[in-house]
Amino acid sequence: MTRQRIALLLAALVAASGVLPLVLLAVLGLQILRQRGERSSQEALQAIAEQAAARIATYIAQQREMLRAVGMAVGNQADAPRRLADVSLDAPSLGKLRVVSVETPRAAWPRALEPDQIATAVRGTEVASETYIAELSPAMDVCVPSARPGSALCTTLDLLELQRQVQRIRVGEKGYALAFDRTGKLLAAGSGAMRAAVLSRDPVAESPLAAALLTGTPAPARLRNGEGLDVLAGWAALPALGWTIAVEQPAEEALRGARTALGLLAFGAAVTLFLSISVGYLLVRRMLTALELEERFRTAGKIAAGVTHDLGHRLTILRQIEELAAMNDPDYLPRIRESLASEVATLRRFVTDFSDLTREAKPQDFLPIELNTFADSVLAGAQGYAREANVALEVQRAPSELWVRGDRYLLERAALNLTRNAIEASKPGSRVRLRVDRSDGGAVLAVEDQGAGIPPDRIATLFESFSSTKRSGVHLGMGLPNVRRIVAAHGGAISVKSKPGAGTTFRLSLPVNGSQSSSPSAPATMP
Amino acid sequence: MWGPLGELAPMGDNEALSSIAQPWVFERLLNLDATGQLKPGLAARVERLSGQRVRVELRRDATFSDGSSVTEEDVVRSLQAGGVQVIQSGGGLIVAPLDSRSPVDALLLEARIFRQSDGKFVGSGPFAVVSQTDMELRLTRRIPQAGHVNEVRVIAYPTPRDAFAHTLKGDANLITDLESRWVEFFRGVPSLQVIHGTGRTTDAIAFNVALPRSERVQLARALESQRVRELAYASAECAESSGTPDGDGIVAAGPVLRVLSWGPFERLALATRRALSDRGGEISHVPPQDIVPRMKGRNFDLVTVRPLRWPPSAMALVWRTGAPHNFVGYSNPAVDRAIDEGDWPAAESALREDPPAAFVCTRDHLAVVDVRIKNPVLGPYDVLETLPEWEIAQ
Repeated sequence: MTRQRIALLLAALVAASGVLPLVLLAVLGLQILRQRGERSSQEALQAIAEQAAARIATYIAQQREMLRAVGMAVGNQADAPRRLADVSLDAPSLGKLRVVSVETPRAAWPRALEPDQIATAVRGTEVASETYIAELSPAMDVCVPSARPGSALCTTLDLLELQRQVQRIRVGEKGYALAFDRTGKLLAAGSGAMRAAVLSRDPVAESPLAAALLTGTPAPARLRNGEGLDVLAGWAALPALGWTIAVEQPAEEALRGARTALGLLAFGAAVTLFLSISVGYLLVRRMLTALELEERFRTAGKIAAGVTHDLGHRLTILRQIEELAAMNDPDYLPRIRESLASEVATLRRFVTDFSDLTREAKPQDFLPIELNTFADSVLAGAQGYAREANVALEVQRAPSELWVRGDRYLLERAALNLTRNAIEASKPGSRVRLRVDRSDGGAVLAVEDQGAGIPPDRIATLFESFSSTKRSGVHLGMGLPNVRRIVAAHGGAISVKSKPGAGTTFRLSLPVNGSQSSSPSAPATMP
Repeated sequence: MWGPLGELAPMGDNEALSSIAQPWVFERLLNLDATGQLKPGLAARVERLSGQRVRVELRRDATFSDGSSVTEEDVVRSLQAGGVQVIQSGGGLIVAPLDSRSPVDALLLEARIFRQSDGKFVGSGPFAVVSQTDMELRLTRRIPQAGHVNEVRVIAYPTPRDAFAHTLKGDANLITDLESRWVEFFRGVPSLQVIHGTGRTTDAIAFNVALPRSERVQLARALESQRVRELAYASAECAESSGTPDGDGIVAAGPVLRVLSWGPFERLALATRRALSDRGGEISHVPPQDIVPRMKGRNFDLVTVRPLRWPPSAMALVWRTGAPHNFVGYSNPAVDRAIDEGDWPAAESALREDPPAAFVCTRDHLAVVDVRIKNPVLGPYDVLETLPEWEIAQ
């Protein structure tokens, strides 16, 4: 994992753990606020509807009261027609007032009142029609008792003022009021788009709800209106008039505050998260750089200590060889030659160890490797060393071919490293086995020895760099860490089992190359 | 619109609803500008020789909708049909009224240029009639113009309620001749806009000319008062320029005055009677067709009327001695003289000195039009004469 990815991940983790819980809490709070906002909007609409209904009821009551007063004051005077005309001039909403009696021709009756209603009115009982649309505005025919016996004062109340009142009701920018008659038909509409239905008398979406409200069925506080908009609504009924008032506001507008807050919060959270991650990323990168620098110095120190120790040892031997050579004694010449050859071999291994450290495994270079054949190759490579140590080296093959993919050179360096360690740890006459096996869906190359085993306290740090305790002068302590690095780069793992006195087993687990068949014709990977 | 349309013709029945389309189909020799002055229409050049004589030169590129060119003969014939005397004079035409009591300006504004082709009237205006029935008149622009109205359907609905409902539904894009109280119905409708234009008439109370001048002056002062306007009309219904400055509202004692009324003037008649106080007498509300005979018979003291007030030259049609619309028989030599000289301010002043009527309320033309029309303007003479210039938002 690169330093950038580590930095990013760490920053994101820290930011998320800090900001996200706060955001979640805020979202929860806002949702609660939104619900409360909706409820409070509905309550406000309900209150407006009730106020409007009360105003309308008062207005109608006032008109009728005024009519009654006129009926009593003017009805039986000789100049009643002129006085009534003057009343109409002063109070246009009262309409054209006229005294009606049983002799009055039907054409002069208010158009919405039936003969039995007129007869009732003439007998001295107030009667009123249902509201209807006269020409362009709502109207209501009313007859009240007149002071002149056998007659009634009748008129068509012009309810244009009510239409104006309904049209004047505004809630927010888009909220409006509607007034319905007993059948649910619109009498007045604050919404311009719905006003055509007032004149056409066509039912709208709210019509059945309005009619039902008068019979006691509650109307919904949220619905789709006549234009198909999602609206919040408040309702009020005027049972005496047979009217229903609805005040509606598009939900989108009514809940805009909560939605805006939610949007702002989401935006704020995203910005905060982004800033946190950005700042965190920069800080973590800086810290990682510092750590890496420190780690490098530490590593360089360890390498220097190891190199100093190992090369010092080699220098001591070379100085002794130099002293032998200085004696110019021909008898020592073979010994000098052998010693020099040994030291050159040792220094070559030394260089090879360093060289292994610089080589990276690149997946694009991986090739199929048959693990049994690979184990044979490793055996061949380590056979000379085993022979020198008088250790028997053998391969226990898997029952069938077992293919993996990898950098053959690096894997061989890793396997040889384990094999040579095993040989070094073995007593003369003992045996080291390379065992190839399939386990848990993966391929395993195990290196088993019969040596003294590794003390348990060493196991934990076995794969750490420069931790070798052999310090024989030929080990940098980079072997096992390097093996682990190589195996990890191949998507595998290394493990160790050891028991003091009972030997040690290192297991290299590698992913099986599934696409490679176990065909015997598959090419061998060893050169 | 509501009611049958009637036939679209260049002359004759101006009360027919189809006459709204006249200015789109039939051009005038001269048009009116916003200040009330004549400007060239089908004429290329206009020169006033005297109050009643005007010299015009014709535009040479004009054609009728059947493709034929507009000739001087067509113009002469059209003007003569409109009561205008025409003399051809060195590449131009000198026009004057046939009857000197009719103002040449007003006659020219009423006279439309036409030709009869296959028994039909054709005009040189931007639109031509495609089809016509009692309920629908269909017109198309002769040369389509991008971003403008290219097709017009004048639809007659049976009742105002139908007309309003269809306009609100979007079936119609324009409705005109609205009363101010009806306009409220369209306020807040997103697809429509309300537009105003100067009204050409004024609601007035005409006096029986037998009443002494001093009494008519007093009555005019009393009836042109804010109080009368407030009683008779809804607030803001009358244009600010209505009437003369407020009178003192006092009417001296005298005989009771009878008020003759008709049609839409019931409240004005009541307000008049109220303003007359003890002198306010009986109100007779008669059918519209009875009003002119009653006026000509002088069987009234006061009568509600709606005389032309715009353009200023229109007063010649109403208040000049013997003018065609002078039903009350008003005669004032000072007014006649000013009219003959085309001096409208002087004529106005003379009318105030010896008032034939109390001018109470000039109401705006009101129309509701589709909000996509960018520059809807009413008037200055015919309500919708500028429709061909209206632009449509894309």
